[in-house]
Formats: sequence, C-alpha cells, structure tokens
Amino acid sequence: MRTLFLYTASCLFALAFFFGCASKSADAPQATEANKSERIITIGGTITEITCALGACDQIVATDRTSTYPPEMQSLPSLGYRNGIKAEGIIAQNPTLILAEAAYMSPDIYTQLESAGIPFHTFENKTNTASTFTMIQEIGKVLGKEEKAKVLNEELEIALQKTDSLLAQTTEEPKVLFVYARGHGTLSICGKETFAETIISLAGGTLAVPEVEGYKPLTPEALIKANPDFILFFNSGLESLGGIEGALEIQGVMQTNAGKNKNIIAMDGLLLSGFSSRLGKASYNLAQLIHPELTTASL
Amino acid sequence: MATIITSYRNKRQQLLTKEVLVLSGLGALLLTATLLSVSTGAVNITVDQIFSILLHPLGGTEEGFTKQTEVVLWNIRLPRVVLSVFIGAALAIAGASLQGLFRNPLVEPGLIGVSNGAALCAIIVIVFSKHLPEQLSAAFGTYLLPFSAFLGSLFVTVLAYRISQRQGKTDIALLILAGVAINALTAALIGLVLYYDDDTALRTFTFWSLGDLGGASWQKIGFSLFIIAIPVALLTLYHAALDALALGEAEAGHLGIHVERVKYTIIILSALAVGASVAMAGTISFVGLVVPHMIRAVIGPGHRLLLPSSILLGAALLTLADLLARTMVAPSEIPIGVITALTGAPFFIFLLLQSKHKRML
Repeated sequence: MRTLFLYTASCLFALAFFFGCASKSADAPQATEANKSERIITIGGTITEITCALGACDQIVATDRTSTYPPEMQSLPSLGYRNGIKAEGIIAQNPTLILAEAAYMSPDIYTQLESAGIPFHTFENKTNTASTFTMIQEIGKVLGKEEKAKVLNEELEIALQKTDSLLAQTTEEPKVLFVYARGHGTLSICGKETFAETIISLAGGTLAVPEVEGYKPLTPEALIKANPDFILFFNSGLESLGGIEGALEIQGVMQTNAGKNKNIIAMDGLLLSGFSSRLGKASYNLAQLIHPELTTASL
Repeated sequence: MATIITSYRNKRQQLLTKEVLVLSGLGALLLTATLLSVSTGAVNITVDQIFSILLHPLGGTEEGFTKQTEVVLWNIRLPRVVLSVFIGAALAIAGASLQGLFRNPLVEPGLIGVSNGAALCAIIVIVFSKHLPEQLSAAFGTYLLPFSAFLGSLFVTVLAYRISQRQGKTDIALLILAGVAINALTAALIGLVLYYDDDTALRTFTFWSLGDLGGASWQKIGFSLFIIAIPVALLTLYHAALDALALGEAEAGHLGIHVERVKYTIIILSALAVGASVAMAGTISFVGLVVPHMIRAVIGPGHRLLLPSSILLGAALLTLADLLARTMVAPSEIPIGVITALTGAPFFIFLLLQSKHKRML
C-alpha cells in the first residue's frame, strides 16, 4: 500500500515536472513583431512552400511538421503531424489566416476551425501539374498576390519546358520503381494514381509496376518481375536502410537491372512528392538522375 | 442482545460516514480536475472569462471575452472535457465490474481484448461504410459506429469469459492467454481491413489506436454520451451481486443471486460502455486497470463504494491525463494513450510482482 502511494506520487511528480518545463517553452513563441500585418498558419509542406514562394514567408507564424522547406520554417512552432494536429493548438497561435491542405488533418478539425471564425482556406493537392498551377493561383488569390502568382506559374511553365527540352535529347524511357522505406521492415512501393506515377512520367521514365494501384508492400518476387532500371527513394528513406549498400541488400534487388548497375537514387521527400512551386526543379532533378546519358546539362 | 444491535448500528454509521467522506472527496477531486482542464490549454482563458462565457447564453453580458475565446471554450474545449469525464468513468467502472466478475484484479478491458474487439468492428464500419448506399449511411451513420463497436466488445468479452471458465471458476492464466490470442487475432484482422484501404485510413488508425479525444463536438458526442451514461449508471446497481460473486458462483447462488443472468448483464453493460468509448475516442488503455486498484488500496474491496468511487476517480484521472496530453507539447499534442500507458504499464508490472509475492498467480 505504501509502495502504491509512493509510485503514484512519483509518477505525478515526474509528469508535473515535465509539464512545468514544457509549458515554459510553449509560451515563448507567442511574441509578435509589429511589422507583420498577417499571422499566417500553413498546414502541409506544399502549402508552406507556395506561400513562401509568393513572398509571404515572413508572415508565417507556425506550420506543421512536414513543412521542411524553406529550412527556416523548422524553427517556427510546430503544430504536429497530420491527425496529431488539433484546432486549439492552431487557434492558440492567434492566426489571422489559416491555409491548409485539404484532407490533411482529421475531418473534425476542419469543422472546428471553421466555427472559430478565423479566415480559413483549404487547397486540394492532387499531386499533378494542373493541381500545382491551381494551388498557386488560389493561394495567390487568398493572399492578394494574384500578380505574383501569375509570374510564379509562368516560371513553373518555363521550368517544366526546360525538363521537356532536356528529355527531347533522349529516347530512353527507363523503368523506375519508387520505394517508400522506413527501415528494412517497412518497404512499400507506389503504383498508379500516386505522386510517383506523375513525377516519374514528368521526368521521362515509366512506372515499373503499372499493374499496382496505390501503395502496396514490396515483395522480392514482384521486384524481380518488375525489373526496374532505377530504384528511387526519399533521402530519409534511403538513410533508414543504411544508404545505397543497405538498399542493395533488400531481397531481390540484386536480380534487377537497378541492382546490377547500382542505380539506387534518392531525392528530398518534399521536393519529390510535394508538387509545389518547385515542381519544375523536382522533375528536372529526377530527369537528370534517371537519364545519366544527359548529365552534362544543368539547371 | 441490545449491545449487539447498538454495535451493529455504530458499525453501520461508521460505514456511512466513510462512504460520504470518500465520495465527497473524490467528487471534489473530479470538480477540480474538470475546472483545471476547462481553464487550461493552448489558448489562454481565465476563470473570469469562463464564467462570463458560460453565463452569456443565460443572459449574461458579452464583456471581457472575444468571440474566438467563446468558440474555443464552447466548441472545442468543453466537449473534450465532457468526453474525457464520461470515457474515464466508463473505462474505470467497466474495469472494476469485470475485475469483480472474473474475480481477478488483473482484468482490464484492453488486456483481455475487449477494446481491440471494439476497434476492429469500428474500423470495419469506417472503411466499408463508404461503400454503403447513401440513404442507408445517412439514416444509420451516427449509430452504426458505436453499435458495431459494442457488438465487437460484447463478442470478445463473452469469448474471453467462456475460454477462461474451468468448472465454474475463472482461470486467470487461461484468461490472460485468451486475451493475448484475441489481441493478436483482432490486430491481424485490423491489418487486413487496412490493407484494402488507403494510407489515410492507416494514419487515422495509428492515431486512433493510441486514443484521441481531440475530435469531440457536441453533435458528435450527444448520442454516444447517452449510451455511455446508461450502462455506467446501471452497473453501479450491481454492487451487491458483485460482492456475492466474490464468494464464488455457488455461494452467490445460495445468497439468492441469479448468477447466470447477473453475469451476462454485467458483461453486456461493460461491453456497451467500453464499445461506445472506443467508438468515440479509440483505445485508451490501463485506466480500467489502475483506477479500481487505487480505490481498493484505500477503501477495501466492497463494491458498494468501489463502483461509484471508480466512476469519479476514473473521470478525474482521464481528464488530468488529457490535460497533460494537450498542454505538454502545445501547440501540438501527445496521444492520450501514451500518457495512460506510461503510468499504467509500470503499475501493471508492480501488480504482477505483488501478485507473485502473494502467490496469487
């Protein structure tokens, strides 16, 4: 019985201590600077990137965990990740404008935010070129920066054309397999109707697994059957496997063209899958990676 | 003879005084926890503001607070606190009742698979209700989720109960092993259901499996609070039966208890409370285990006081746990299941060690 009380008491003390320490740091980012007219909260890495590219970067006061670009966004208060984001945390940052990716948080949060009376806008990221142009235009409209959005879209058009003209120099269409990895135990491949299908085709490659739809676990036999020329990862995913050497150890990889030629490639996750204003750069970089015959060109 | 009656009366008086003391103490604790939880959060709301906001619809002045503070309090924080009170109460009394019924203090709705059974059926509804005809899901949408979670938890409770029976007695080793098997089976079936859905469902489930009180809204919780409150209230009526069952099923029968009927009523009521809780907030573990133990350590095993005390303490503790979950890393938050498991799991190990010393296992 005494042990019981000691145990309960020590648990409560530990929690209270943690609580005390944490609440101090939670108060810190509340300070505002006088020259900022809007206090914007962006939810979703793509929305953050576009908002920044439109020139509203210094008005963003808090973001979510996927907003890793530009890097300074990571020093802002983080509201959490996807379903972990809660309405009160957002409102507590005293935003005057909330920009969020549609279907990113749990559905209840959208309802709660709407009832709070803070201007709140959602944007659908369908991970294709058309949706990127639309998002830039719509966010530009909300921010009152239609002109800037127009310029940004023209720049994106030019960047995408640059990838096309790069690809015009080759007739190769390598088979690319995107693998989402979180350590050796967790490997998924992306099939049709995922971001991977679109970005691979923009970069002049073909999807190595056209018969797969959505995200599916990777099996050695399917890997050998698909026989990709390139295996593509997020940087973080390749790191979780222990780099290229680790990726070559995945069962079945050495039996594919990609494994034999050590064609294991990786790109920044947000750049590759975000379909933001950097889409032109993403497709160009990937095109260079999967078309080594063209390496002399550069952006 | 007279002295015996007097001493009996004194004893009875003492018991009543103790009950009043314990219940009012726990009631005060719950009230404090609720007030603390309502007034603390990522958005700053002072106690004065809370009172003006609460009085506003009753004709109070609209001074001292902004529209936004009012919305945060009414639409976000208050429903959340109410939900944590109800779910804490439901999990604790379900734990206390099942411990009494199985005549073993190590039983917990999560441990014997009840929560996972509810989760499995809820997941099936979430994933497959998209494919239902629209009129059907519009008509039954609100009720389908808690109802199927109830069926899941009911099925698992009966299954665990049947497996663990040996010559009319509950064998704890069998019960725990049945729990392991049921948990493995439901986890596998949940995995199978999620395989056929997209990654959004998977993400939703990951957060859900650690408990989440964040989506509470009045519209959403109205019906479910109702079906939590009724079994919680009804369970408190079974204190005498649970006390009698503690002596053994045959002995309880001699005392005039309809053993079979009582057993299944308690199972159904507990399953309803846990099923509705899981449908509302996912699986929150260890509350049902820890709370009855804390009460028993202080006031002893009598169910007459144990059941209502568990309600009050369960509600207070889950409200405090939720307060920690949403303020420790504000503006983000920690899943509530992490907090309850972080304190509950070591507690469970402590109970196991104690049972080992007493040779109860």
